[in-house]
Amino acid sequence: MPHIEAVTCPVCGCLCDDIRLRIEAGKIVEVKNGCAMCESKFLGYCGEHRLSKPLIRKNGELVEVSLNEAVKKAAEILAEANYPLLYGWSSTSCEAIRIGLELAEEVGGVIDNTSTVCHGPSVLSIQDIGIPSCTLGQVRHRADLVIYWGCDPWSAHPRHIERYTSFSDGRFEKSEWKGYLSKTKALIVKKKIEKALKRVFARETPSLSPHVRREPPPTLFKEGRKMIVVDVRRTRSAETADYFIQVEPNRDYELLEALRLLVRDEELEVEEVAGVPVAYLEEVADLMIRCNFGALFFGLGLTMSRGKMRNIDAALSLIRDLNTRTKFTIMPMRGHFNVSGSDTVFTWQTGYPYAVDFSLCYPRYNPGETSAVDVLLRGETDASLIVASDPVSNFPRKAAEHLVKNPLIVIDPHVNATAQMGDVVIPSALVGVEVEGTAYRMDHVPLPLKKVVEPPEGLISDEEILRKILSEVRKIKAGKMEES
Amino acid sequence: MIVLTPSRQLPFPVMAECISPDVFQEKTLEEIGELAVWEGNKQKKLADLFKVEEQNREGENEATITICGDVAEVRRIGASMTIGEIMIEGNVGMHLGEEMKGGKITVHGNAESWAGSMMKGGTIEIYGSAGDYLGAPYRGCGEGMRGGQIVVHGDVGSEAGAYMKKGLLKIKGNAGQFAGLRMHGGTILVEGNCEARAGACMTEGKIVVIGFLESVLPTFTIEGVRNKVKIKETDSIEGPFYIFSGDLAERGNGKLYVSKRKNPHLSVFEKLL
Repeated sequence: MPHIEAVTCPVCGCLCDDIRLRIEAGKIVEVKNGCAMCESKFLGYCGEHRLSKPLIRKNGELVEVSLNEAVKKAAEILAEANYPLLYGWSSTSCEAIRIGLELAEEVGGVIDNTSTVCHGPSVLSIQDIGIPSCTLGQVRHRADLVIYWGCDPWSAHPRHIERYTSFSDGRFEKSEWKGYLSKTKALIVKKKIEKALKRVFARETPSLSPHVRREPPPTLFKEGRKMIVVDVRRTRSAETADYFIQVEPNRDYELLEALRLLVRDEELEVEEVAGVPVAYLEEVADLMIRCNFGALFFGLGLTMSRGKMRNIDAALSLIRDLNTRTKFTIMPMRGHFNVSGSDTVFTWQTGYPYAVDFSLCYPRYNPGETSAVDVLLRGETDASLIVASDPVSNFPRKAAEHLVKNPLIVIDPHVNATAQMGDVVIPSALVGVEVEGTAYRMDHVPLPLKKVVEPPEGLISDEEILRKILSEVRKIKAGKMEES
Repeated sequence: MIVLTPSRQLPFPVMAECISPDVFQEKTLEEIGELAVWEGNKQKKLADLFKVEEQNREGENEATITICGDVAEVRRIGASMTIGEIMIEGNVGMHLGEEMKGGKITVHGNAESWAGSMMKGGTIEIYGSAGDYLGAPYRGCGEGMRGGQIVVHGDVGSEAGAYMKKGLLKIKGNAGQFAGLRMHGGTILVEGNCEARAGACMTEGKIVVIGFLESVLPTFTIEGVRNKVKIKETDSIEGPFYIFSGDLAERGNGKLYVSKRKNPHLSVFEKLL
């Protein structure tokens, strides 16, 4: 019964690299240290939704073909296209992304990764303002104030709090896990007593007392690690926090700008900003200034709400202002396990992190003009290659309609909505489970993805498939050159 | 006068910075037709996409280009132009008049995003609506409009006049959010309504909103009420207007003039005067 230690989990941007797997008869049978999403990936990777054979659409039906035939068909589509789109990339290895970029340059297409629909605005702001950041190890050992803004790590990055922030035991800062447990127990007891008292004396239906007080509680100024959550609704992470600030939807920009003024000890003329009294904000600003090492993590609640990249401008500027008074860092909570890697590989190959247009034979970058959703909404593409992504199920309807109207090539391990609409579908082996590779964690630390089991017969990695398509495209282009 | 008419539908992006009076000057029709443009990832001649004709009418400047038809996918028309006039009878694509220094562009239709991007001189008049980033620089650049005038008769999208330093932006319709973002000078006049966050991070310059303004950022401070505001040396608008100063988050001293009559929700600021 072999065990494999220190496996990197290929699910979210945390890239937890302490996973322990037990393998029996070439199958994963037990997962240790992982969250629910990690277990689901490692135990259910070979389920009924797995693609096993290459498919080509003939007479409206997807029929099984050989890998070579599928590769040739894909290469023909891409070589003929006037403005192809190559999209996805965030759930595959850096090695495959590198080949994808080479292919995009060869076919003169637009190549974009999933940043375009998640942290693309963060990237644009970072280019404008700059980012004072650090690795997650630094946060784990040193951060005494952690702020989660517009994100819910308890649900989306389940081990983030446990491994890197409030519940992690760092060298200089201790875990607040025990404090959280006793707080939760005390609240449960309090609720039970309240209910009992009301039943006995008032015979009223008891209303639940608010879990987190609206004004900053005195415990916020205690020694040790503190956690603040800012969000439009009380999430699971907010329940865990020492203080929860409920911001009015789409008013994050105003709140961040107000905090910028307050950390400079200036006064505001209004009494409330985005539904939060200024008196409470003053206390939060005071806490931010007084911490030794603060870390702000932000998610799509900030990047995709009204204001988009300008919300991030304000957040980055706030951290810049705070760094004149204390040490503060900021980091986006990246979603897909290698979305940071795709940005990194795109940047080192082309100079730009996403939405790169090779149609003029050199890389151009202008999100809004060269980004996948905008290109599709304007109906400019005439063919698409989708790698390890499912845009049909999450792009705007009009964009998805244009995507499936033209020849569509899909490389994916699973049968998803995009694969079902594809004209050429090529199954691939799962990176981080059946093939190895490299991925970048959300703090831009590269980590190796391990091969833990053999892939199903006939399946090869995204990298190998892309190499085959690239070689075929080059052959077609060379043939055309000879003809002309 | 050169007249360009699209000879077919243009589904792919066309990069045509060659459509400019500076480039067409002293060229024959054949030479103009031979100019290189990109359609998608293929390089083509201008004559492959447009019918190129010459029409001489009395009183018309020789350095005039007229485009008859929808060219919503044709980008960078009039880029860096210094003289002459371009008239477009239809919708036009992105980056119209990018970095133009002189001359005039008239659009009898809508213009896509980044119209008048980083312009330094000349005039752009759009009779329809304009997209986002009107007069604003491209990604990563911190220098917006540095001169000239843009007049839009319809509505504009977000971030009109971002990073503006000089010049005038006249919007007769409504403006999107973040009008005048990070502006360092110049004037923006919004005759219609304006979405929130006008003047965010501005340090200098003037934004005048005659219609309804959704809200004023908390980082602006009220300075007073004025009866009229000057737009150009000879042009002023009757108020009364609330005057806000900001953006204090950037230690700015830009001015935001908001019509008192159309914005009763801002009367709460009067108690601070």
